[in-house]
Amino acid sequence: MAELSFNKDHGYLEGLVRGMKAGILTDTDYHNLAQCDTLDDMKLHLQSTDYGKMLSSSEEDLTVSLVDSKLRENLVTEFSCLRSNALPPLSTFLDYITYSYMIDNVVMLITGALKQRDVAEVLPRCHPLGAFDQMAAVGIARTPTELYSAILVDTPLAPFFQEAVSDTNLDEMEAEILRSKLFKAYLESFHSFCKSLGGATRDTMCPVLEFEADRRAFIITVNSFGTDLSGADRSALYPSCGKLYPEGLQLLARAEDHEQVKAVADCYPGYKIIFDDPEPESGCKTLEDRFFEQEVKLNTLAFLQQFHFGVFYSYIKLKEQESRNIVWIAECVTQRQKSKIHNYIPIFK
Amino acid sequence: MVVLELEESSLLLDEKLLRFMDQLELLEEKRAALNSLIEQGWFSMAKARYSMGNKRVSALQYASEIEPLVCVHARTLDNGEVDFCTERSKQKARDEVGKEARSIEDIGPQEEGVRRRNKPKNNIPEKKEGEEASSEKAPEVTPIRKSDQNPQQDPLKWFGILVPQTLKQAQSSFTQVIELSAEIATLQTAILNSRQELKQCRKDKPILQEVSATRLEKLTD
Repeated sequence: MAELSFNKDHGYLEGLVRGMKAGILTDTDYHNLAQCDTLDDMKLHLQSTDYGKMLSSSEEDLTVSLVDSKLRENLVTEFSCLRSNALPPLSTFLDYITYSYMIDNVVMLITGALKQRDVAEVLPRCHPLGAFDQMAAVGIARTPTELYSAILVDTPLAPFFQEAVSDTNLDEMEAEILRSKLFKAYLESFHSFCKSLGGATRDTMCPVLEFEADRRAFIITVNSFGTDLSGADRSALYPSCGKLYPEGLQLLARAEDHEQVKAVADCYPGYKIIFDDPEPESGCKTLEDRFFEQEVKLNTLAFLQQFHFGVFYSYIKLKEQESRNIVWIAECVTQRQKSKIHNYIPIFK
Repeated sequence: MVVLELEESSLLLDEKLLRFMDQLELLEEKRAALNSLIEQGWFSMAKARYSMGNKRVSALQYASEIEPLVCVHARTLDNGEVDFCTERSKQKARDEVGKEARSIEDIGPQEEGVRRRNKPKNNIPEKKEGEEASSEKAPEVTPIRKSDQNPQQDPLKWFGILVPQTLKQAQSSFTQVIELSAEIATLQTAILNSRQELKQCRKDKPILQEVSATRLEKLTD
């Protein structure tokens, strides 16, 4: 019965987001961008897309970093427009999307403080979608417990600190562990919220979040080889709302090399293709690239149904992938590595 | 006698010329390898930024004062050539750092060592020269180190503990670049030396030719 009452509260915003989705860059746009020889050419081509005069209005030197910042600003403007007009439960749903950026900002502020970087230097680099009032004070905390009790207890991140509180000093390893634990708690909370919403939202969001949980488990495992993070430590970081829970996660915690991780992935058809050996023509795609591709596929499915919140989440994620694509093309153009320029992931074919 | 000397000097000249050419070829190869490794390193960093996020691999991630992990030692050999060799300092345990730091300050000026900065991972090439110049002064200025800081840390950890493979690849490219740079510097001084010797030999040859010609004339008279 959601179809009958959805439009009353959320119809305008769904219409808005579908309109914005129509502005996502097409194959032709990417083809034009890939032909550019300089960032100025790219700026020219972007003017004919929905991005418009985004880059022209700035007086700073055109660098890849500036392009990235402007793309981010654009996304934040669109999101703020959606969020400021949202009613519950959509407002809660949109807030959930911002929590992942808040977690990244907290860790960035902590590592900035470890490197004795001034807060004023780090704050502008934080993601605007994850802004919260107490950001400037985050760098002062020395342990996760202090961070929670003194600073983050009044922020939306407070409920995610259940398992993350500890009294060890915050260094690089602890910051990484804190990031993963907060994200695990966040993902599980988001998953159960989507489940409670039911209907099409649950049907589109839960597979996406389960994929995200499994992706994190795989990436944490693969990246932890050769570091001080042991299998037992890692297993505390794996989110449990994915398909891998519980057997796959146990196997991953015991994996010692890439082959063993591949063996775990082979038990799940969805993940087997990601870990399969690539064909020679496809170039050297990294594991992260393959996961991004799969994420894009799952997110595009959200637009096939109406009257659910999944479109908002998917739109944000697809726009982020678009930003990654544009920045990748910009890097290839500035570094004159045209052979790898087609490694971006096209979104709507 | 003079004819023999002339012949010997011609053979020596040929040998020196061939050696010079070989060295030049080797230099070209090494330079091409250096360029390709640097390009590879920067590109791997771009790939890492793609996976991690642009702002997570940037100038924000390292401190403004950096301790070098690699030292370059320059040694002048008997034949006038200068040999550059890189030395990687071993990972020190935390409690040793305090004592060692002071001893490094003491023996520094007496060693024939030139401190070379470990390549900082930033995305702004112009800043690199500035960083090197500013961090040159850092070791002399601060003899007291904080006990909870580990200055001998692997720079990869600046970007987090769970970094993607591409960042590790970038680090290994840049490490190879450091070693290759020292080899190229040595080779360049050797080439300059060879060129000098070659010039000397070519100057001596006409003199020897003249002397042998006059002696032959005297003999035939």
